[in-house]
Order: sequence, then structure tokens, then C-alpha cells
Amino acid sequence: MLRTFSLTVLAISAAFPQAPSRTQQIEQERDKKAALLKPEVVTKEEGFLRNFKDKKYLERFAAGYNGLRASVGNMVVGSGFAFGPEYYREDLRGGELTFRASAQTSLRGYLKFDTQVTLPRLANSRVNVDLRATYRNYGAIDYYGLGPDSRKTGRSHYRLEDTTLETVLTFKPTRHVRLGPSLAYLATNVGPGTRSRQFISTEKQYNIPGIDQQTDFIRTGAYAQYDYRDNPLGPKNGGNYVVNYSWFNDQKLNQYNFRRLDVDFQQFIGFFNRTRVIALRAKGSFTDTDRNEQIPFYLLPVLGGANDLRGYRNFRFSDRNMVLYNAEYRWEVFAGLDGAIFVDAGKVSSRRGLATNFNKLESSVGFGLRFNARNTTFMRIDTAFSHEGFQVWFQFNDIFNQRKFGTTVGQPIY
Amino acid sequence: MTRTLSLLLLLLAATLLSARKFYEDDPLLREPKPRNVEKAENRKLSDYYDLLLHQFGPPGELQPEKGEPIRAKGINTLGDPMEGAWWEKRHYFKTMSREELQRGPAYGQPPSLDGKWTVIGAKNEGVTPGFVIVDSRNNSYFIKFDPLSNPEMATAADSISSRFFHALGYHVPANFLVSFPMEQLEIRDGVTLADSTGRKRTMTRRDLYEVLLKVPKDGQGNYRATASASLPGKTIGPPRWFGTRADDVNDIVPHEHRRDLRGLHVIDAWLGHDDSRAINNVDVLVKENGVQFIRHYQLDFGSTLGSATQKANSPRSGVYFFSWRESAKLLFSLGAYVPYWARAEYPNLPSVGRLEWKTFVPERWRPEYPNPAFRNRLPDDEFWAAKQVMAFTDDDIKAIVETGLYSDKKAEAWVIESLIKRRDKVGHAYFAKVLPLDQFSIKDRTLNWVDLGRKHNLHAPETVKLQWSNFNNETSARSPIAGATGNVLPASADGYYVAELANPAKPTQTISVYVRQGDGAAAVVGVERAW
Repeated sequence: MLRTFSLTVLAISAAFPQAPSRTQQIEQERDKKAALLKPEVVTKEEGFLRNFKDKKYLERFAAGYNGLRASVGNMVVGSGFAFGPEYYREDLRGGELTFRASAQTSLRGYLKFDTQVTLPRLANSRVNVDLRATYRNYGAIDYYGLGPDSRKTGRSHYRLEDTTLETVLTFKPTRHVRLGPSLAYLATNVGPGTRSRQFISTEKQYNIPGIDQQTDFIRTGAYAQYDYRDNPLGPKNGGNYVVNYSWFNDQKLNQYNFRRLDVDFQQFIGFFNRTRVIALRAKGSFTDTDRNEQIPFYLLPVLGGANDLRGYRNFRFSDRNMVLYNAEYRWEVFAGLDGAIFVDAGKVSSRRGLATNFNKLESSVGFGLRFNARNTTFMRIDTAFSHEGFQVWFQFNDIFNQRKFGTTVGQPIY
Repeated sequence: MTRTLSLLLLLLAATLLSARKFYEDDPLLREPKPRNVEKAENRKLSDYYDLLLHQFGPPGELQPEKGEPIRAKGINTLGDPMEGAWWEKRHYFKTMSREELQRGPAYGQPPSLDGKWTVIGAKNEGVTPGFVIVDSRNNSYFIKFDPLSNPEMATAADSISSRFFHALGYHVPANFLVSFPMEQLEIRDGVTLADSTGRKRTMTRRDLYEVLLKVPKDGQGNYRATASASLPGKTIGPPRWFGTRADDVNDIVPHEHRRDLRGLHVIDAWLGHDDSRAINNVDVLVKENGVQFIRHYQLDFGSTLGSATQKANSPRSGVYFFSWRESAKLLFSLGAYVPYWARAEYPNLPSVGRLEWKTFVPERWRPEYPNPAFRNRLPDDEFWAAKQVMAFTDDDIKAIVETGLYSDKKAEAWVIESLIKRRDKVGHAYFAKVLPLDQFSIKDRTLNWVDLGRKHNLHAPETVKLQWSNFNNETSARSPIAGATGNVLPASADGYYVAELANPAKPTQTISVYVRQGDGAAAVVGVERAW
């Protein structure tokens, strides 16, 4: 028994040797490590994420294959998810020429074909020329009747089809200023909407200019922009002021000649190190005709929906003049998320004088979330309330960052 | 038989119960000579994974919520890391001269302007455009630039912070500020460049031109850049903030428990180094004195001192990208809750970015996302780092900031003032959490120390009471020696003694100073702090 005990004690002593020095103690630890050495590896999950970034899968997807890539979104509100192929090259003639061509359809069957050629670097990048051809066939655009008193129950829908050939010349005399003329040929057509089981087609309910006879237009215009936002893709401070004037000349019927003035004034006031932003916008479209001339209903200013008066349905109001005021208070929740509360107000009017006062404004209030990446809002969820109910919008854009004047389709519905 | 049994029991007790505190070679100032690392492969980490892992699934061994905290490891009995692969004693331990502070790492020299610099690669790591070049002496360098919006910002930060980190004992690359015309560069045949989609193609003169279009020029048309001398050895990827390298026999202390990494929180806070991700460190396989081993470097200081390398640092710098509690407060208060950092005011100094000191509170400073070493830090880890930060005098700080070569003297003055004020806040914060006494020594049988709080004029001298005890090195038992309350060592007999120092006003803050008397001489062999 003593022998067994002795052996046990010796074994324990051997298993737990006392290091004679600190150095020896460390060497014993190294001995243990040496017995367990193995190559440093990363887990499959880490390897995937590493390759995802290093091999630039996202960038490659966005860039496509030899210029061919997927085009997602960027169609009219209410179209449903839009997608299609796009061919895009920005490396032509050593970066002096950009070419883009896309074909898109949406879940509601809308179609859009778009081709654009841009010379972005003329005159040491102070001059930009944009040539664009666009065909759109939107099967079910909502129409509620003319004027501020149109009823929500008066919802109808129509097909909007048009083709635009457009060129825009842009001068950049200073860092913040852009201005230039534009020239476009616009061929239009409207027809019965494609959702006739749900809503009545517009031509059955409304007798309005443009519903029965179609024409083509030459549109000439000029625009000026003063933009001193700190980051145009996600502004926290600064302003963006745009004025655009267009002449629409009827080429076939000579009864739809008109003029339109668009203004879009945006101001961003950042405070608390720009983690809070008050974003303000005043926007208006004002049309004018000679005596006996009319404006087709589908070229009238519209109001309502995800991008302006958010407590109302898309294109809820329409008339010759439109004003819109938005005020948003945005606060940073964390680097990738902003909260927002907002107030929208606006109205349409047959007369410019009525549009520019503050009487009888339609209004909505709401709250939202803005999801950001690289200081750019890539998605927002807005919930807005008005006396006509509430709307929840799920959008892949910044509400104020809609279109560049003078460099895209000039119609009110875009 | 009884005698045999007794001896065996004694052996067993000695084996199992022995808690010898000090060995003859304590305190060990340097790590034992490293063992040869036969094979260590380069492996790259994912910064996305690193972020997600640390943000949502904290890896490594964290401090227990209750009970005794896990003290730092990899230190000697005096409480300092052993010099070696991670850290070396520098400015605090042996005051560096102005020239040494400005010089930085001893290896490397600025790229020679005699002859062209040959571009041998385009930098595809990090966030700024850059090149790898070799000069006429065949030395290679990473060339990194400033953003157009903030000339001098990132390069100055890199130059200054790398020198601070060096003086604080860390291994860093030798960074040099250079200024050169485009004609200085030529491209070696066959050099490839990855485009924005990752596809590689041959680099052309136009690529060079396009990169340089994105960086600022000075008044003479030259480009200012950081030339970071290639590290001497083979880079094998970053160390993680937790665990040990599986292929490194010398790496035996989990990184989350290393004092030199725990204490880095204090240093990063001082210098505003919020981008202290794993990928901003690197391991290098070096061969010295016939032994191949891994040395660990701190890298990429472009995101310090108010710079975020590509732009001015975010005002959020100093808090985590995301935390549930803070985000919930911000979301549900509709922004009425305003965090302290949102109230900070910054002067308009493009070459600095966003650096200030008024709202800086070292203890609440955080990097961009959590890491276990920082989370595990204890007051003695913080004190170890803070005492080194406090070792930089105003003149030292000025000397190092001068290496940033700011053309705007207001910017230089602001950085100096901010670092001085932030340094003092570091001292106030961390010297208050432990008794700030250090540099213990025995001279003429008298125990001496330096009151760092008093030395740096942070507070009145500490009122210290002292009690000597005999110390049993095998059992750690202490036997107080009656009446031995002075600085003088109580006895001349060989053995161990411990002096417990305490400030009655802060009774939990004590320091045990262990003294070994042997061969007629006494020496401090251990220092332990409690708080």
C-alpha cells in the first residue's frame, strides 16, 4: 500500500513539476504550446466575408460583366419593384465618354427603356453634355380628378406612354453653380389603364384635356442651380436651389402649348455636430398658357405620395399649379440609422395666386427611419398621417434627392 | 515507515500547495530568448468579420461579472510587461532625448531623392490611394497621401502618432514625411493595379496621374505623403485582440489579458486612435541572432488626432459605432437626448480634422467597436499606460508634434494644446483609481518611490502609511513586524519583506512592495496594486 501511495505521490510530483525559475516557468508554457502548434487559419465564415470584400463581389455585381449589369429601381412611384439589364460604360475614350442603356420592367408590368450618352469632362470638366432617349410605358398611373377638391374616391387610372429625346448642356462656372439649356422632343400617348378590375379607367370617368387626342412636343428649357450642400448624397448642411423654366410647343394639334416654371429650394441646417438636421424644402410647379390653350392632364403638376405629400396616395392631387413644403427633423441614432419626424404641406390650384398663399394647404405628419451607408440614405421607411388616412412608404431614396433638373426626363411624373 | 510517509506527504504538500511567489530571476525584465518559429503563414483577416464578431459575439475571455477579476498576464513581478516581441521599455523608463523622440524607430531612413522612385505596386489595403515604391537604394516604402479636403491631416497624424507609439514602447513602422513631384515616380514594367471591381490590369502612367489627381498638391506642385518604410521581415497578417497565434510557440498569453494591449485603451484614447481594429496591427516574422520569431507591430496611425484618413474624423469618434442602450436612448427620445460628443466644438482646421479636449473623458472613450483587451482592462492596466502618457512633458509633446510639419501654425498649436490637456485628463482619471506611486527602489536600506500625482502637479502629495511584514515566499504568508512603519528596511536578515503602502483617505487603494534581502543587498522584486 505504501508502495502504491509512494508511486502516486511521485507521479503527481512529476506531473506538476516546480519550475526552478521564472524563465523555466515560461519555457514550460512554451513547451505546452509547442505541443499544440498548428497553422493559423480563419473560419469559413470569416473567409467568406474576407473574400466578399477583397474580391469585391458587391462592386463586381454593381459593375456587371463587361459593362452589363442589373438595373434595380429608379422607376415611377407605384410601379412596384423594378429591375432589368443595363449596359454601362464610363471608361470610353479614356473616361471622356459615358454610355448607359437599360431596359426595365416592374412587378406591375411597367416598362422603361433608357439610353444615355454623356460627355462629362468637356472644357476641363466645366462643361457637361447629356444626350438621352427614354421610352416609358406605365400601365396604371393614378388620377383623381382636377383641382384641390378632387375626391379620394374618384380614383381612376390610365396608361402613360411617352418617348423623349433630350439633350442638356451644363456649364459649371463655379464650384456651386450649374446652369444650362435643354432641348427635347416628347412624343406622348395615354390609354386605358391595366388595372381595370380594381379601378375605373380615367377616360371613363373624366373628360379632361389630353384624354382623347395625343400630340408631340418640342420642349426647350433652361435651368440654374446653386448647390452648396456639404454632401449632396446625404446632406447635413447647406442648400440646394434650383429653378427650371420650360416651354412646351405642341407639334401636332397646336392647342397644348404651355410654359412651366419649376422651383425646388432645399435648406439643411445641421447642429450638434451635424448629428441633428432640420431639412426644409419648398417646391413648386407653375404652368401658364396662352388664351384658349390647354395643358394635357398627364403633364400637369401632381402632388401626393412617397416623395412629397406623404399622408396621401401617389398623384392624389393635380392641377395647373402646385406648391409643396416639407420640414423634417432628423437625428442620428447610430452611424447607419437616422430617425425622422416630418410635416408636409402643399396644395394644387388652378391659379398661381391661389397656389402661393398658405390657405387651404393639405398636410400630413409622420415619422420615419433612414438607413444609411457611406453617408448616403439607401432606404427609408416613412409612416405618414393625413385626414385621408395613413400611408406607409418603403423607398430606396432620400426624399429630397430626387432628380437633377435639366439632366433627366422633364415630365412631372417621372 | 512513519518517516517515509511523512516525507511523502511533505512532498505531496509541497507539490500541490506550494505557491512560490518569487523566483531567483524575478523580476524578469525581458522575455526569455524567443524560440524559433519554424513556420508561420500569412493569413489575412476580414475586417467585416472582426466588426461583427466583436460587436455581437464578444470573443476571448472577458472579466467575470462577479468575483476576483482576471489580472493582466505577461508581466513581470514589478507589473510591467516583459520587453520583447510586443513592447519595449522606452520614454517613461529611460527618458528619451528630443532627437530620439523625433527620430522614432531606429530602423529605416527616408527614401532617397537621388534617382527615381519605382512604383512596384499599387496599395490596395487601407482606405487611401497609395503606392509601394523602391528608391535608388533599393529600400521599399508604402506611400500614403492626404485627402483633397484635408491637406496634411492624415500624413501629420501618421507621423506624430507613430512616434508617440514608439516612445510608449510599441513596435511601429518608421514613417517619414516626404514631398515629391510626379516626375519622381516611374512604373516598373508589369506592375498591376486592381480596378474598382477588383480586376487586375497593368498599371499605366495614367493610373498614376489619376491617383495623384485625388490628393492635394503643395504650393510648389509637389505631393506630400507618408513614406512608411517596409517592416524588416515577412508580414504574416494581424494579431487578433483575443487568444494567441496558433502557430507562434512564443505567444503564450491570451491577447485579451496582455497588459500592453489592455493599457492601449488609455493610449488610444489620448491620441484619438479609434480605428484600433485588428487589421491595423501586423505580425512580422523576423530573424535575429539566428532565431526566427514573430514581432507584433502597431500600424496605420492616419486615423488619429482628429483624422479619419480620408476625411476629418466623425464627431462620434470616441464612442462605439453601435450600442443597444445608446441607440435606444437616441431613437426613443426622438433625438432629445444629446450625447456629450455631439456637443463638442472643433476649430476650423482642415489639417487637423476633429480633435478637441474639452469634452474628452478618458474613461468613457471607446474605439469604433469593442475589443476584449480594452474591455478587460483594470485600474492597474490603466495606471501602467497612464504613467507612460504622463511622462511626456509639454516640450516632449511639442517636439513630436513638430514632426507633423503642419504649414498652419494654428493647427500645430491646437494639436499641442489638445494633447497636453488630454494628457492631463488621462493623469487625473487614472492616477485617482490606484495609489499613483511608482519607481520603487531601495537605496541605503531605505524604500523610495515617486508620487506621480505630485510629480505631475495633479494633486497634493499622497499621505502614505507604511507597514513592513516578513513575507514567506513559499506560502505567501505575511507576518507584520511590530513598529516597522518607516521607510527603512526593518531587518538585515536574508529573506523577503513586504511593505504595504496605503493612504488612509483611500483605504482600498494599497500597494504591496516586495523586497528581497540577499547577499547583503536588498532589492525591490515585486509590486502589487489593489484598489
